[in-house]
Amino acid sequence: MKNQLRSFFIFLTIWVAGLLLLRFSVSAGELPRVELSADNIQPRPIEDLTAKSVPRDYALAWQSMERALEENRSELLDAYWTGLAKDDLASRIKTQIGARLRTRYVDGGHKLEAVFYSPAGDALELKDHVHAQLQILDEDKVVYQEAMIVDYMVLMTPGADRWLVRDLEALSPAKPE
Amino acid sequence: MKPGFPILLVMVASLSAWAAEMHAPAQVTAGTSLAIATNGSGRGTFYLIGPAKVSKRDIQMGSQISVDADELERAGRYLAILCASDGCTATNFSVIAAAPNRLSLLVHPSRVPVAMSNGITTVAFVFDNFRNLVLKSAPVEFTILPKDGSELRATRQSEHGVAWVTMTSARKEGITRIGASVGHASEVRVVQQVASDACNLRIKASRVNRELLVETDPVRDCSGNPVPDGTVVSFTMTDMGGKTTVDVPIKRGIAKITMPIKGRARISVASGVVTGNDLEVTGG
Repeated sequence: MKNQLRSFFIFLTIWVAGLLLLRFSVSAGELPRVELSADNIQPRPIEDLTAKSVPRDYALAWQSMERALEENRSELLDAYWTGLAKDDLASRIKTQIGARLRTRYVDGGHKLEAVFYSPAGDALELKDHVHAQLQILDEDKVVYQEAMIVDYMVLMTPGADRWLVRDLEALSPAKPE
Repeated sequence: MKPGFPILLVMVASLSAWAAEMHAPAQVTAGTSLAIATNGSGRGTFYLIGPAKVSKRDIQMGSQISVDADELERAGRYLAILCASDGCTATNFSVIAAAPNRLSLLVHPSRVPVAMSNGITTVAFVFDNFRNLVLKSAPVEFTILPKDGSELRATRQSEHGVAWVTMTSARKEGITRIGASVGHASEVRVVQQVASDACNLRIKASRVNRELLVETDPVRDCSGNPVPDGTVVSFTMTDMGGKTTVDVPIKRGIAKITMPIKGRARISVASGVVTGNDLEVTGG
């Protein structure tokens, strides 16, 4: 009986670990959920096509950033990041490699609010309300984790066929959920 | 077990929890150093996670941790983590942009027709010395200096780090300098104002040998600026044989063409959407 119970608990542990692993691998591959609101944008409205491409490209930008920070691979930033935002993340990855640290996000979704769209259509400023699970890993040991809610100010500019994140600045400290 | 033992245990546990504490200010300005107070004893590991930099170092618990100004140049959210033998504790703080001292200026377009309503837009992004977007509202002064006119000034408060103006281009062609300034920073861009579409397009005809020379008066826009050389003027001749159109670029302010005429013909002229006068001519 004792042996049966032990086997059952071992099986349960493996099953739960497997589920968690599966859940995590799905999360890592999924595109973050991004909702865009452009009701209060100034001084001009955004075009329908822009309203579709911005959330898609912003989600791809976050997905690439999350992978880049977890795998310490700055080349993953090339597709959707530019300017100072890209430099900052590349610099962070460089120092993460030096300190043997990694950052892991499990993205919980973004509420984007467009606040400024330049009359010439060459700059778009947005506020992002982000929910995420954050982990800081030293080697493979988690030294910190939190459920974070952070507001960011985002500046995006158009590239040849997509919108790129040019600036990403956190507005407020995290509040525990 | 003595009755005081659990209390002592709780006190020791509290002390060990207290030992991992640290205190950082909630907010600091970019580019200023910071001291984080810690409690406890023994060795610990301190991590600083910032938007553009992370660092890790061994520290003596109970001492102050100095964070240099160059580690706090980028605005955003910072995480300070302290790990000791009894576990890790963390606190976060914000670094906010310093005073506005840089501008990024976008002026569109670089060439604009004269007298175009809201034809020029100027957008200024306000940054501090460390290229952080300054989100606190700041007055941005825009200046417009036309080629032969007096300087115009307008001040706009930045919102979310951005200030912008639109303006109507001047009535005279030439260079206009558009500037913006905030703090000790100023930026200038140049906009070339060019003649607008042709206005009052007129042609006249004269005979040269057996052909007809048709030429425009000097082509100007409605403000009297000469329309640039190279602008295409279309001459259309309609006669018994049908309709013939010839496109001619303006050279030295006028466009001209020689046409063989037989019988009666009507010649008209246009440039873009602007049409001019018609001529009725008779050939030999």
